[in-house]
Amino acid sequence: MTATDWLITAVRVLAPVLAIMLILPIPMWLERRGAGLIQDRPGPNRVGPFGLLQPLADAVKFFMKEDLIPANTDRLLFVIAPGIALFSALTTFAVIPYGPAVTVGGREIPLVGADVSIGILYLFALTSLSVYGIVLAGWSSNNKFSLIGGIRSGAQIISYELAMTTAAAGVILAAGSFRLTDVVAMQTGTWLGFIPRWNVFPQFLGFAVFYVATFAETNRLPFDLPEAEAELVGGYHTEYSAFKFAMFFMAEYVNMIVASALTVTLFFGGWSLPWYEPHGIGGVIVSALAFFAKTAFFVWVFIWVRWTLPRFRYDQLMRLGWKALLPVALLNLLWVAFLVVKRWLP
Amino acid sequence: MAALTATRLVFDAAATLAIVFASVMVIHRHPVKSVLALVVSFFALSIAYVLLSAPLIAAVQVIVYAGAILVLFLFVLMLLNVPEEARHGSGRPIHRILSAAAILVFAVFLLSLLRSHGATASPAVGASAGGGADVAAAARLLFSEHLLSFEALSVLLLAALVGAFALARPETQR
Amino acid sequence: MIAGGIPLGDVLLASGALFVIGLVGALLRRNAISIFLSIELMMNAANLTVLGYAASLQNLEGQVVVFFVIAIAAAEAAVGLAIFIALFRHTETIDVNRINLLKW
Repeated sequence: MTATDWLITAVRVLAPVLAIMLILPIPMWLERRGAGLIQDRPGPNRVGPFGLLQPLADAVKFFMKEDLIPANTDRLLFVIAPGIALFSALTTFAVIPYGPAVTVGGREIPLVGADVSIGILYLFALTSLSVYGIVLAGWSSNNKFSLIGGIRSGAQIISYELAMTTAAAGVILAAGSFRLTDVVAMQTGTWLGFIPRWNVFPQFLGFAVFYVATFAETNRLPFDLPEAEAELVGGYHTEYSAFKFAMFFMAEYVNMIVASALTVTLFFGGWSLPWYEPHGIGGVIVSALAFFAKTAFFVWVFIWVRWTLPRFRYDQLMRLGWKALLPVALLNLLWVAFLVVKRWLP
Repeated sequence: MAALTATRLVFDAAATLAIVFASVMVIHRHPVKSVLALVVSFFALSIAYVLLSAPLIAAVQVIVYAGAILVLFLFVLMLLNVPEEARHGSGRPIHRILSAAAILVFAVFLLSLLRSHGATASPAVGASAGGGADVAAAARLLFSEHLLSFEALSVLLLAALVGAFALARPETQR
Repeated sequence: MIAGGIPLGDVLLASGALFVIGLVGALLRRNAISIFLSIELMMNAANLTVLGYAASLQNLEGQVVVFFVIAIAAAEAAVGLAIFIALFRHTETIDVNRINLLKW
């Protein structure tokens, strides 16, 4: 591999990660102003116009706060846990395609970090690893609330992982491949000239299950009992302060963005626009912007739902995941199998 | 000795990591830290599996083994609040004799290895781009020749689920 | 990526070492769950060997075998841990040296 190859790979991999880290203040601001809008109050409006510098103020606060490590805790695990959470959140983005292949100087470069043959499985693997970050945070805090919060959150994630992967299995079956670039390629074009070939249309049940499951996977309301203030103080991140808490905070937003990007890629055509054929650099930019816009919409829906719906009780949450979402996802799989056998899906 | 390629180096590094953390798992007295050391070891092993052109198995290893089985271990350890093991050894000399015998067997095994020189576990030349064909081909095998075993496996998992639940459920008062 | 070779000897050495470490752990630990973990390690060492030979002989059946082994290990872990939980409820200990009566 020549130096150019390394450079291209580095840019492909780092571009989305850096983009996410730079964009992160936007959902943070959006969350708080959006909350204000929905709750009929102003939201942060002191720091900069429309409170736009609030995330900056938050960042400064996180850096300046005292970094506490409670006594009788396992220091190594306490410190690593937020790192695991953030690491698994960020590396998930390596397999999500954010643009069509661009030909530069005779080389065809797909705009994805790593076009591995096991694309979606890699994502599920990382989701499984993210459980460790939370469970370890809860356990190493040496605190009953944190332990219960951590274990509940871990159990919630692995339960909803089932429904999520079964819903995604429908998409994999339709696409015939684990690669996300293939999934996006299968969703280009239209039916009857005006309905985009997005997976959400034939697999609406699958989309519904998947989207609800992502709320549970990212610990967002209405499934955020493990970190609910009224119930468990702070759940697994009670004892975390300053920068380590900031890492959990960032990990939550990155998870939100990744979950939205994944929903867009699997069910809404990824970077493809139905009536548009990307050509050259202009096409790449338009497609990337389309991807960004679709992801941003779903991030807004995350925020919107948080401040609209009440919280699920833990037993209701588990019942929903096992007794409702999983059977519906299996039904969806059956339906997709029928469509594939009848060759109505490619 | 085969050439010192990048693939071989990465495999050696991953294997060394796996061995080191496996040793940590065996030596460490606190069970939760043992489990975590084993998680890292399994993760390193899955890297090794990718290099042996088995990306599907690498993903399954992380999803099932490191991500589900070991999480189950971790939950059980945390809920049972298992304490650290006491410092003195196992107390039964037969164990040490058997362990020494195991290491001896390993040494013999090593010697027999020297006779298998030349065999290479190289990935196929076309597999350097991620082994796309391997995943589909392995899946095809699973669903055609081994379909009966696959379905029997699902019944086995159901039986294990029911059995685990029946064993672990709290005793109800009659 | 350089399509290179991983000498089979390397793979067998690694898996042999892992197997012996697991064996030593299973023999010397007193905590029932640690013994179980060592057994899982031994199973992984066996998986590595099978995959090494599968890559060497360019045969995909090895991957299918390992797939089944991993799934069966999951079933076994679930039942094994359920047994430990039930045992712990009765005897309040999982030190295998102390669980030495057939009936209590």
